[in-house]
Amino acid sequence: MSDFTAVLDALTRQRGVRGSLVVSANDGIPVDSNLQFGQDGNRVAALAAFLYRKARKSAQAAGLGGIGFMQLEAESGRLCIIGGDEIILVVVAERSANVGLIRVEMLRAAEALA
Amino acid sequence: MPDDVRLWSDELARDPSSLVFLPLAESLRRQGQLDVARKVAVRGLERHPHNPDAHDQLARIQADRGDLQSAFDEWDMVLRLVPGHVGAIKGMAFVRFQQGRLDEAEKLLMQAQGTFDDIDISAAIATVRRSSGVTVGQVAAGDLPTDPHLLFADILADDQTAIMLDKDGLVLAGAYYSANGEDVAQEVGASLSGVSDEALRATKHLGIGAWRSILFETEAATVSLAPAPERGAAAGGLMVVAAAPATPLGQLRPLLDRCVSRANVWLDLAV
Repeated sequence: MSDFTAVLDALTRQRGVRGSLVVSANDGIPVDSNLQFGQDGNRVAALAAFLYRKARKSAQAAGLGGIGFMQLEAESGRLCIIGGDEIILVVVAERSANVGLIRVEMLRAAEALA
Repeated sequence: MPDDVRLWSDELARDPSSLVFLPLAESLRRQGQLDVARKVAVRGLERHPHNPDAHDQLARIQADRGDLQSAFDEWDMVLRLVPGHVGAIKGMAFVRFQQGRLDEAEKLLMQAQGTFDDIDISAAIATVRRSSGVTVGQVAAGDLPTDPHLLFADILADDQTAIMLDKDGLVLAGAYYSANGEDVAQEVGASLSGVSDEALRATKHLGIGAWRSILFETEAATVSLAPAPERGAAAGGLMVVAAAPATPLGQLRPLLDRCVSRANVWLDLAV
């Protein structure tokens, strides 16, 4: 049981959430995860970290400051990301999940991890 | 009614966590005691931050006080808590109408009509259309600016900016202004190259269908991305829209759609 287990468990209990991960922002390696679906967590972590780094880089290019909540929305699901310089928190959710509540919970969790 | 106000006030004093603040705030609003109503609603929200009725109540009070943006933000929060909430969408449309942003008002009303069709919504749509004279998306090719940098200029507010990128991150149209007024479109484009492919890979791996948008909040702006039209030079590219952080997240998707729609007309001319 890692320092992140309780946070990930709480996130994954949210309605419509299929999994959550703590990921190293710079190399995309998962630090801990709670996945309720049969996917490869390593791959999800790498993809999420890449998108996060891209968003961070574009925000820097535009002088927009640090990145807060991030969301990729697809036809039948969402990938939500929040984080800082070192680690990011990733949530995989169904399309019907309440993204407003997930965002609030992720902000709370990020504060707890900081 | 004053007796009810007294009863509800007493009950709230006995049990500050009671939901009776909702009818109390509404009653005060109807009596025109807007500042008191606002205080009651705000205190209630402090105890029930995820209660959509409480956000809806505060929105109506703020609208009556003339604080339209605050009302809009509260209704936006209702929508986040209860997606498709017709009352919230109608409220947001009302705010946009009052602000003269008629095309946004119309889009919101169309959204409400798609969820719950009633005669009030139809009448409101007709009113907005009469006021605007032109409906969303009706732009003649001849009316487009000749300078590609200005392609999205007339559909963006002062605190919004948009660019369309090709698959390599090169700018096809639009401009991206930083806070100090500098056009940083090339830099932003270069930093976003590869995002479209990676989003495609991510959604394929997760089995969640085609990607529709990416949104991220920063300290100075909220940025949203969508696939550019799959045509000509834009195929595999990105549409990027940035707006002030105060812009409700729910408003970015319609704005992106309008930019994509504009890009489609422009690409037609380019063929």
